[in-house]
Amino acid sequence: MLSIEDVWKRYGREWVLKGVSLRVAAGEAVALLGPNGVGKTTLLRVAATLTRPQRGRVELGVDRSELVYLANPPAFYRHLSGFENLKTGTLLFGRPVDRAAVEGALKAVGLPPDKPVAAYSSGMKKRLALARARLLRPRLLLLDEPETALDAEGRTLLLGLIAEVKVRGGAVLLATHDRAFAEAAADREVALS
Amino acid sequence: MRRILALALRDLKIEFRSRAGLLSTFFFLGVVLLILGFALGPETADLKRAAPGVLWVALAFAGSLLAGRAWGLEVENDTLDELLLLPGSREWLYWGKFLFLFGLLFLLSLIVLVLVAGMFYLPLTAFFPLLVTVVLGIVGYAAVSTFYAGLVARLSTAQLILPILVFSVVVPVILAAVKATAALAGGAAVADVWPWWQLLIAFDVIYLTASSLLFPFVVEG
Repeated sequence: MLSIEDVWKRYGREWVLKGVSLRVAAGEAVALLGPNGVGKTTLLRVAATLTRPQRGRVELGVDRSELVYLANPPAFYRHLSGFENLKTGTLLFGRPVDRAAVEGALKAVGLPPDKPVAAYSSGMKKRLALARARLLRPRLLLLDEPETALDAEGRTLLLGLIAEVKVRGGAVLLATHDRAFAEAAADREVALS
Repeated sequence: MRRILALALRDLKIEFRSRAGLLSTFFFLGVVLLILGFALGPETADLKRAAPGVLWVALAFAGSLLAGRAWGLEVENDTLDELLLLPGSREWLYWGKFLFLFGLLFLLSLIVLVLVAGMFYLPLTAFFPLLVTVVLGIVGYAAVSTFYAGLVARLSTAQLILPILVFSVVVPVILAAVKATAALAGGAAVADVWPWWQLLIAFDVIYLTASSLLFPFVVEG
């Protein structure tokens, strides 16, 4: 589904990615492993079409409306509540907004609907990101260190989301430092060096 | 269209809740009008003569504080990437942000109109044509500001660079708007102001078209 071929990316004079190639098949989850600064986040951003590589080719295999990228840390509007963030986010994504579905997604991750995101902890923001991904039902899910700041219950929710996407025939590419989490979440591990 | 409106309304909601840009703008506006009032007064005739210029000086300077808000909201919340990931061409993002900034500037211009009318004796007898002039002026101002604010959004010096970029392009709009306002304040008929309105409409159409078409190429994650 996702195909990255011979991607080269540099910031200034420093090459971060040097000829990286990777494929993620439908129904598959792949974990990117590697030390800090090796280019895991950059590769995810290239895959998400957020940044253009100097060389190489990225084929998403899905429409951009079917792609969800969970950044680390996840970004939300601080002055809006969790409910408002999800509602407007879904609307701007071009999807119909179902109030019950939004409330259900928040309830599923154990978040109150009316609390402003400014009052959320890091873990709660991660849970809100999971709720958003669940609501948008992506076919291609890109996750940047998704397990950080999540408690055991949050990790279970995350693993559930990854399994859901795979069952629907989607693909998951995640970057992590945590080998144990990678083994639990992914079918295959790729080490960047 | 639905997404454009949703984006503008969401941003307005955030701006009114955070009040960061609005409070500083209204404070700055008050100071500018007070200083100009002291500098040009106390003769009524002097104040009256200066009123059209004061209106647009106050709008342009106070508006420059709001100019960066369209994208400043995204930078503050670190949500620029989320926005750029939204499906579809990025042109609609420009229109949503333009509508948001236009809304803020329109609110500001109503307040400026009332204050200038009260402090500088700007006659509001031709209120509707005056409002048309103001709307045409702020459309051009918002069109250019939205574009350049998006261009420099990720720069740490965005707040410094933005007014320089905006003012260098938006000067013809301000000049035409001042001339039209002065003519209306002097009792001119709409027919006499029409050539200035045509000029403003032409600038607005050019700026909006060029900005919306170029926007997807200049904004990147």
